[in-house]
Amino acid sequence: MPEVFIDGKRFEYEGEQRLLQFIQDQGMEVPFFCYHPSLSAPANCRQCLVKVGQPVKDRETGEYELDENGERVIRWFPKLQTSCNTMISDGMVVHTQETDDLVKRAQKDTLEFILINHPLDCPICDQAGECPLQIQTYKYGPEGSRFEVKKVHKPKRIQLGPRVILDAERCINCTRCVRFTDEVSKTHQLTITSRGDKNYPITAPDREFDDAYSLNTVDICPVGALTSADFRFKARVWEMNQTPSIDITNAKGTNIDIWTRDNLVLRITPRYNEAVNDHWMPDEGREAYRLFNENRVSRPHQKIDNEQVKSSWNNAFATVAEQLEGVDKKDVLLIGSSHASVEENYILSKLSSLLGYNEPVFTSHTEKGKGDGFLLTDDLAPNANGCRLLGFNEVDNSKLSGLAEKAKVVLLLNDNLVDREVLSEDQLNNTFVVSFSTNHSQTSKTADLVIPITCIAEHAASYVNIDGRIQRSFPAKETKYTNRRLDFEMNEGRLDRYGTNFDNWVTEENKVDCLPFWIVASKLADQLGVDGFDYGNGREIMEEISSTLAPFEGVSYARMDEESGIVLDQEKTTVKS
Amino acid sequence: MSTVDWKNYEPVLIPNIKDIHKIDVYRKNGGYEALKSVLTDKKKWADQKSVIEEVKSANIRGRGGAGFNAGLKWSFMPPADGGPRYLACNGDESEPGTFKDRKIFEYNPHVFIEGALIAAYAMEITSIYVYIRGEYKAYIQMMEKAIQDAYDAGMIGKNIFGSDFSVDFYVHSGAGAYICGEETSMLESLEGKRGYPRVKPPFPAQKGLWGRPTTINNIETLSHVTSVINRGADWFKSIGAENHPGPILYGISGHVNRPGVYELPSGVPVFDLINDVAQGMRNGKKLKAVIPGGSSTPVVRADQLDGVTMDSDSLREVGTMLGTAGMVVMDEDTDMVDMLWRITHFYHHESCGQCTPCREGTGWLEKVMLKIKNGEGEIKDLDLLLDITTQMEGRTICALADAAAWPVRHTITRFRDEFEARCKKSVHAVA
Amino acid sequence: MKYEFTEDDLQEIEKIKAKYPEVKAATLPALWVAQNRFGHVNSDVQKLVAETLELPEAHVHGVATFYTQYYKEEKGKFVLDVCTCLSCQLCGGYDVLERAEEKLGIKAGETTDDGMFTLNEVECLGACGYAPMLQITNDKYVNNLTPEKIESLIEDLKAGKTPEYEQIEMPLRKVK
Repeated sequence: MPEVFIDGKRFEYEGEQRLLQFIQDQGMEVPFFCYHPSLSAPANCRQCLVKVGQPVKDRETGEYELDENGERVIRWFPKLQTSCNTMISDGMVVHTQETDDLVKRAQKDTLEFILINHPLDCPICDQAGECPLQIQTYKYGPEGSRFEVKKVHKPKRIQLGPRVILDAERCINCTRCVRFTDEVSKTHQLTITSRGDKNYPITAPDREFDDAYSLNTVDICPVGALTSADFRFKARVWEMNQTPSIDITNAKGTNIDIWTRDNLVLRITPRYNEAVNDHWMPDEGREAYRLFNENRVSRPHQKIDNEQVKSSWNNAFATVAEQLEGVDKKDVLLIGSSHASVEENYILSKLSSLLGYNEPVFTSHTEKGKGDGFLLTDDLAPNANGCRLLGFNEVDNSKLSGLAEKAKVVLLLNDNLVDREVLSEDQLNNTFVVSFSTNHSQTSKTADLVIPITCIAEHAASYVNIDGRIQRSFPAKETKYTNRRLDFEMNEGRLDRYGTNFDNWVTEENKVDCLPFWIVASKLADQLGVDGFDYGNGREIMEEISSTLAPFEGVSYARMDEESGIVLDQEKTTVKS
Repeated sequence: MSTVDWKNYEPVLIPNIKDIHKIDVYRKNGGYEALKSVLTDKKKWADQKSVIEEVKSANIRGRGGAGFNAGLKWSFMPPADGGPRYLACNGDESEPGTFKDRKIFEYNPHVFIEGALIAAYAMEITSIYVYIRGEYKAYIQMMEKAIQDAYDAGMIGKNIFGSDFSVDFYVHSGAGAYICGEETSMLESLEGKRGYPRVKPPFPAQKGLWGRPTTINNIETLSHVTSVINRGADWFKSIGAENHPGPILYGISGHVNRPGVYELPSGVPVFDLINDVAQGMRNGKKLKAVIPGGSSTPVVRADQLDGVTMDSDSLREVGTMLGTAGMVVMDEDTDMVDMLWRITHFYHHESCGQCTPCREGTGWLEKVMLKIKNGEGEIKDLDLLLDITTQMEGRTICALADAAAWPVRHTITRFRDEFEARCKKSVHAVA
Repeated sequence: MKYEFTEDDLQEIEKIKAKYPEVKAATLPALWVAQNRFGHVNSDVQKLVAETLELPEAHVHGVATFYTQYYKEEKGKFVLDVCTCLSCQLCGGYDVLERAEEKLGIKAGETTDDGMFTLNEVECLGACGYAPMLQITNDKYVNNLTPEKIESLIEDLKAGKTPEYEQIEMPLRKVK
């Protein structure tokens, strides 16, 4: 196998590889700004300079020439090379800043150049704390400044588009944002304007940067030049807590990170998954963070005299049991949801089979033309395929409204059927509707009883995306009944770890009074005299699913974590016993 | 070192013939015979390779400043695969002190067109673009006319001279950017983009214009090809300096009595160029310094110039380069601080802004130079300037950073006393 | 103001496009056609060029702002680009520029109130042997300037007299 020597260590490699990427893949580091693994490599920041040489081969024998000590004779490139666009070749010898003083000096020099016109405003810059320039300056940069003349001034606080704000003075001209719109989103909305040290990225005059993926430029900006209009000034990154999750605004299953502080979700950023979304996500998915904070159903709500009032949990469970026991089993309709997880839908279906109701039905939530062939899909729900693989009857809207009209009791799992005009209020007039909801909506308002359940940001659960890949979430924010310090799946940020209830940044307000659907089901089961819902968490439910349902065979949280999701065999079907 | 006999040199690039810019006059004087010969005389020119070999052996060193053997460059082109291949002729001519190619456009455009066509034939090129800086509006028009005349005369187009060689020839106008004289930046500009130099590899011979094999040559370089084919490589090599042979268009400017462009052999003594060719210093002043080949080539003090000739070897001995042979002559009254500040201003203005060391370094150099020029500088600023040049050199995609750094380094080193005299006296804290 | 290309312009642009395998290459020449037509390539004109070539507006904007000869805003009727770079500096380019500033009552980079003159200090124009010199509105070169000469040039331009192309022989070339 071909070999490469980096800082005296031998590595084997295969295929075409960029030196910088290879070094990173080995867990080593060379500082850089403009390089991004999913974009072209213009080698313009000149930060990743390393010393590169090739062994000299005897022309006739093809053997490596050796010096008097028996070491290979190395012919060094006369200049330092940018490792981002250097392709590894057999026998290549590389010295990074770890072993070569000239490389170290060159990297320091480049940082000095980058910093001369960069504002010293880290204390008020959103990027601080997750800023490659800041981090690499600490590690590799010069101390102090020799720049005693005037900095270049450029436009600041430019609203590039509805979601992105530019501070041109902070820009270091890496061109990642421009390359993103040219190579990934392909809207070509950005360019570099002007020349030399007056350069900065901008849209065409009077045009908005309204690219459906515009916020990715904020993520990849290696400085604070591009910031999110929404997230700006809301939090310092080190105060937040980062939890892996899945985008629920469509069926792509884009991998995301949920950022919380004091149990409020403050932003969503994409999480790398080569097989799903690479490094990117649509702007729409980021807006969804509000769903996790705002308008949440907290405590059960019951309709009394046409008005929903808060009720106790005990009363809620008793009411459901009373309603179910008062009607014929065939008059109970269970509606599953493509907006709920595999685990929640499974629980609904288990409830129906144990109690002898009809199998749950569901209707998909699609909007033609929403999909773009990239990360947006026509399907606006994260788990339609999960419902299908669970063997749910997929019905169209008219069929569903017919069923609902006929039913005496409807158990509706988190799906805003009234809001999206599948059902009308009138159709539900003579039906007792129990809605298990995360958020208040027209649908929940219509319901006779609303039981608050946890949302994706509060539980670990799985979703099957449009390509049949099952992926899962982690709990990111606490509810009234969970505790970060006791739940090993939950992360702790600095504030979580060091804050106490006596600190003014810690409140109880942001904890929603809701329960995971399987606990709700378990309480209902108690009331109705069945059991089999003794789950501690989603993981246990998935263990049961994978051991009983063919499509989910072999699926576990551990594997999903290890393999960044598992593609399910969609040919397999759930056979109902 | 044998002295070059420049006084008896008969110009060939731009000969002493009236109206040679007109195609009929050019043809009457043997024009397009070289092209005809390579296309039709199979005894003399068996194939394309024989042409490349002849040009390679003539050792025409690129006249755009880099001085690379043109024939050798041609030989880097991969074998033809039936797809398009390009020749890009570099007429961007923007390095301060350089104003020679415009003479070819004006006085003998066909010698260039013919040379480019021969190059195109030799490398199996399908289209030729000549990139001319946008400020040369007059010369762009002249070239457009000359190319049209050559098309009309059947020198360009389909099956030239009845051979199976066909090629197109287009003029592309720049729009004000020195960097587009850098060959890969020129390709970007030709493709309609911002003139950002490309990362190499891939080299233009592999992936040039529109991802296809491309060779880039300077206008004067290609014009010499015509003479080499007409008169042979040996003739070319017999002219001027051994390691940098052939005629050169010298552009002389600055404080001389008769500035202008002169076609003379390479290797003319610098003093001959100043004193005889350019008829001496203006107003009887004394010579102070010379920039031999465009603003990026290091300035040389008058006392270093004894016996120095205009060829790469001799100039290297005094720590400078031939560059574009655009020589800038400075008299004893020249303020080296002002002069250097203006050069740093130029490179600051022209840096494309792609690479960090150049984008930031050129601006820093100019700002510190301005400070010194205004009498605000300190001695430590001179050392800072030298440091900045070290940090810029060899660290960027193209050579503009080096071109900006060299004059600073060498002007300060060679005229340090003048710079120190302009600086504020250092104030030392007294303990 | 609405900018539109004439039929002739559009035909010229079609001819330009035919010179290149890709339409993007027509960006620079099409901007020239536009500047020749409208006297500048302000943001509306840049949009027109982008529309005509069916290229992204941001691309055209990036190109227009990279090259100094494109006027991104309206300029005076005569744009005097005075070279002060190296050879021109050595031969008195700044004296010429200063005299022009005095004569026109504006600083370099400004336009006279009557919209007649824009004065710029520019980089090397490739006429170093004929320094100092200037270029008028991206067109004619005026060589071997002196402070006196630029005053009379300004007078001439005001009077509607524009200079002709000046042919400068190569000194040693003895044309037969």
